[in-house]
Amino acid sequence: MLVVKNLTKTFNTAGGKVAALENVTLTVETGQFASIIGKSGSGKSTLLSMLGALDVPTSGSIEVDDVDIAKLSSGKQTDYRARKIGFVFQHYNLIPNLSALQNVMLALEFGHMPAGKRKARATQLLSDVGLEPDEQLRKPSRLSGGQQQRVSIARALANHPAIILADEPTGNLDSETGQKIFDLLHRLSRSENTTILAVTHDMDIAGKTDVTFRLKDGKMTTI
Amino acid sequence: MNVISRGIKNALRSPLRTGAIVLMLAISIGLILSMLVARSSVEAKIASVKALSGTGIVITPAGVNGFAGGGDPLTADQVASITKTAHIASISSTLTDQMTTTDTNLTSSLQLGQFGRRQARSDTATSSTTTTATTDTSRPAPTPRIVVTGTTNPNSIASNGGTLTITSGATIDGSSSALVALVGSDLATKNNLTVGSTFTAYSQTITVAGIFTSGNTFQDSGLIMPLATVQSLTSQAGDVSSVTATVDSSDNVDATVASLKTTLGDKADITSQATQAANSVTSLQSISNLALAGVIGATVAGAVIVLLSMVMIVRERRREIGVIKAIGATNAKVIGQFITEALTLTIIGAAVGLVLGVLVSGPMTTSLVTSSQSSTASTTTAGGPAGFAGGARAAFGRGAQQISNNFTQVTAALTPQVFVSAIGITLIIAIVGSAIPAWFIARIRPAEVLRTE
Repeated sequence: MLVVKNLTKTFNTAGGKVAALENVTLTVETGQFASIIGKSGSGKSTLLSMLGALDVPTSGSIEVDDVDIAKLSSGKQTDYRARKIGFVFQHYNLIPNLSALQNVMLALEFGHMPAGKRKARATQLLSDVGLEPDEQLRKPSRLSGGQQQRVSIARALANHPAIILADEPTGNLDSETGQKIFDLLHRLSRSENTTILAVTHDMDIAGKTDVTFRLKDGKMTTI
Repeated sequence: MNVISRGIKNALRSPLRTGAIVLMLAISIGLILSMLVARSSVEAKIASVKALSGTGIVITPAGVNGFAGGGDPLTADQVASITKTAHIASISSTLTDQMTTTDTNLTSSLQLGQFGRRQARSDTATSSTTTTATTDTSRPAPTPRIVVTGTTNPNSIASNGGTLTITSGATIDGSSSALVALVGSDLATKNNLTVGSTFTAYSQTITVAGIFTSGNTFQDSGLIMPLATVQSLTSQAGDVSSVTATVDSSDNVDATVASLKTTLGDKADITSQATQAANSVTSLQSISNLALAGVIGATVAGAVIVLLSMVMIVRERRREIGVIKAIGATNAKVIGQFITEALTLTIIGAAVGLVLGVLVSGPMTTSLVTSSQSSTASTTTAGGPAGFAGGARAAFGRGAQQISNNFTQVTAALTPQVFVSAIGITLIIAIVGSAIPAWFIARIRPAEVLRTE
């Protein structure tokens, strides 16, 4: 379960302190598919950074399965990212000189899976997200946007994460492909019992999630 | 796939860029190798020169050069104090004299020539100032003199630095006082002397023990006798005109010279062969220093090439580094991957550079040494003819010959040590070149990946 309490993040700028997030509080149950909507600059990406232990909050707490990740040391935060978090980015962010299979195996390496078991696990994950065996051996540049995002989702699922954080996962895809990716994420949240938190602009997608949060000027409102 | 294999794979990611970096590094590393080879060859030559000619010290009475100059000969006490000086392993003493036609029945094999007439003229001028009655018409016709060398070690006269070449008969015992002599081949021919022949010198009958040849016309026109014999015949008991001392180790030469200068004061001139050898290898030392500067310069250039390349690569892959960190890579893993990449580039550059270095090091060493040799040759010519000295001069003649050979004998030797040095420097280049990029990597925050979405 993900519990965020009074999360605040301020940045020092030339014009003084700017609050990107202000007293954000939310709870997402394990296995729920949640969405966060909001305009540009509302603090969505900042919130995702905090939840993914990519950045440190100014105040407040983020508890994942009763562990406050904001208080973890830098090394433990890295380990938390490797084992408990899966990221899905709008621009996929696959490593360009590695094949789809190697991209997934990379995440397994960081999750400390023994080298001998990585290939089988990565192949299984890529098959689960719908990538054919020959496509699994291609580099990202030889895959379509939808295929790349499937690889990205397989990579995010690699280490059985507690939470998948998806930043505009369908934002770079046509609506049909976007729908397929959304369906895939939805299916996985059910089959893998993984909590998914997706930032999106697409109200259609947001409407189909279990719970939707709206961020406005750094403050949270539930819809 | 692990950190190492990813690093290697990344190094070959862009063939064009990899090629350019490798080429630049190869030139730099090739230069390092050839400079190391040049330095190694020159240093080896300097060491061998110092080792070969480094332990001899020549002590002559102050103000004397051969038969020119003035002053008193070294006394038996002074020779004894030289022998007792610390680190002196052995000495050979020499006393030289010149016989005129009144001293011997031998005829000199030398032509008087311009040098001889000059010597005779100065001697006659000295004589006329004392008698004041001599005129040109009463002056006897000048004749070349015969040099007699009394020595404790006849081999010290050999101009080739080895054993005196005896063409017939046997050598003499330098420590005896027998009335025997080794006769130079030219003098023997001129006077029809053979082994067992006798001749008169200083009113005594001397027996020819052997005929020697040195390849030096001046020496082959002279006589060698035991030191004590010459001292006795010339009424100079205990006196010597030069002492050549051998020091036990080249490391002790400077200290021994200092010690002798203290003991003998201003009564003697002391010259060590090591000093002369050191002076003669100055130009080689300059090449060695130049080569060292080249090694340092090329190393810095190589490190800068790797550094700038890696900074460029890190900046270009900033986003990728952020992604890798976001999905759980530690700083150590990312830095390890980039260091491997830098090492791979450097090792490929080193492999090409070592081949390049092997090809150019020979000609480069030859070129450096040849240009130095030409400038040294002109200095030697300007030094003028050496002559008139005895055994001491011969010793220095040997040193000079040895030194003149140095330049032509320097070879481009590629020793394992040079290779190990080159590889060590290559690793330093890679590590220094990766250090700053590693710092950049550590500073990249994974949150930046989301901000640039």
